[in-house]
Amino acid sequence: MIKLDHVTKTYKNGTIALDDVSLEIEKGEFVFLVGSSGSGKTTFLRLLLREELPDRGTIWEAGRDIVNLPKWRVPYLRRNLGCVFQDFRLLQNKTVFENVAFALEVIGRPKSVIESQVPQVLDLVGLSHKRDNLPTELSGGEQQRVAIARAFVNRPLILLADEPTGNLDPKISEGIMSLLDRINKTGTTVVMATHDKALVDRMRLRVIELDRGHLIRDQQRGVYGIETDSGAQR
Amino acid sequence: MASFSQYVVKETTTNLWRNRVTTVAAIFTVMVSLFLVGGSLILGQGASNAEIKWQQGTLVTVWMAPNATSQEINAIRSQLDSFPYVHDCYYQTQLQDYEEAKHLLTATEFSVLKPEAIPSSIRCIPNQPQDAQLVIKKFTGQPGVLIPTAPTQALKNQQRTIAIAQWSVLIIASVLLVSSAVLILNTIRMAIFARKREVAVMKLVGATNWFIRVPFIFEGLLQGLIGSLMAGGLLWAGEWFWHSKSVNWAPDTLGSQMLLTSWQLVWCELVVIFLGMVIGSIGSAIAIRRFLDV
Repeated sequence: MIKLDHVTKTYKNGTIALDDVSLEIEKGEFVFLVGSSGSGKTTFLRLLLREELPDRGTIWEAGRDIVNLPKWRVPYLRRNLGCVFQDFRLLQNKTVFENVAFALEVIGRPKSVIESQVPQVLDLVGLSHKRDNLPTELSGGEQQRVAIARAFVNRPLILLADEPTGNLDPKISEGIMSLLDRINKTGTTVVMATHDKALVDRMRLRVIELDRGHLIRDQQRGVYGIETDSGAQR
Repeated sequence: MASFSQYVVKETTTNLWRNRVTTVAAIFTVMVSLFLVGGSLILGQGASNAEIKWQQGTLVTVWMAPNATSQEINAIRSQLDSFPYVHDCYYQTQLQDYEEAKHLLTATEFSVLKPEAIPSSIRCIPNQPQDAQLVIKKFTGQPGVLIPTAPTQALKNQQRTIAIAQWSVLIIASVLLVSSAVLILNTIRMAIFARKREVAVMKLVGATNWFIRVPFIFEGLLQGLIGSLMAGGLLWAGEWFWHSKSVNWAPDTLGSQMLLTSWQLVWCELVVIFLGMVIGSIGSAIAIRRFLDV
């Protein structure tokens, strides 16, 4: 589903965000992307979104070489990707329903499709009763649910989440995590960058760790830190 | 397709309403500048109409000296009749010229005139308007001729005055047109900044560049179009007022001769509307290119 082959990305100021990273993520996988701030997690996601281009290497997504994808094809690539961010990025002047519907409207989906798909996804995230509320009338957790609903309403093949629980308390984070887990169970590949140790440790899923642009760990059923022989984490 | 057009209409009207003060300012500037452009076009077209009418009626008048003998008058008449650049001639006696002067001069000026002091004249229509100069050249200084004249210089003076007025209006209009484009550009820029977050979300969910750009393009186009339609309305009202006033004017006055036909007015209006749309498109195109990062 996702393949990075010797990918290097250096910013204009000389910062090496990713250095010769190669990895593969299969369809339907749930992957945690961990590492300290500045390790390259966000650059990794931005490359997958084609918001950035690597200096070297190739990236394959859903069977396409996205590095050599013509610029006009990028929107069509993004229709297969859903994105969730720490700051939710909701439109404050639109209701919950309108925020989710907006994702379908702007890719030209007909009204009938919007009217059938939006309630379904609002039901999935448990916000059917708040469809007419504005984002300012919702809690942080609810706002993140709306953002997830917007990312998932087009049934993307891949869902990219950049610290989706970063602004939320542990209990709410659990709810968001279980929602992402449910979405993953529908067959959507989920890549989630996070600093939330408790979540990663509880889920015991694949963990990819970056450190100053280097891939230092790729572990199936991993935990947040590197486990020592005694089971403790470093 | 229906949902796309609904979306464009909704977004365009929302943007226009959101920046209504600058939108109104831009529309009014477009209106004033295009009204001046249209005025200049009408002036140019009117000058051309008047020129055609003057040329059609150009007369060369060979004024005979008051003491010219009948032989001299006859000699000049026969020379004019055989001159290849002259189409037709007729003779006006001193008394006929005196009667004509009564219509052309004020009562005070006319009261000092004596019929015997007025020269008789031979009025000729040249084959082509420009042939008038050849007639003047040939008959200047001939025995019995006082002076041959044609209204050429007067025509030139009038044409020059109209051309100066036309160019002055056009220069002012050009400056205002640039201002309109800049104002439209600024309105679109403000709309882009106001919708920055929305545009970012649109990009993330896979909206195409054109889908994002179209409402902004329409916004500029609409401002130009509304401004130009208002300018067109003003021009039409002005022309109607001119027509209604001209009923009382003599047909040989400048105002009457410059009157436009309906088709000429329609042509001027179409140019004005087209220019309005171009100005709107240019303003929004520059704003999108510079400020909309898609």
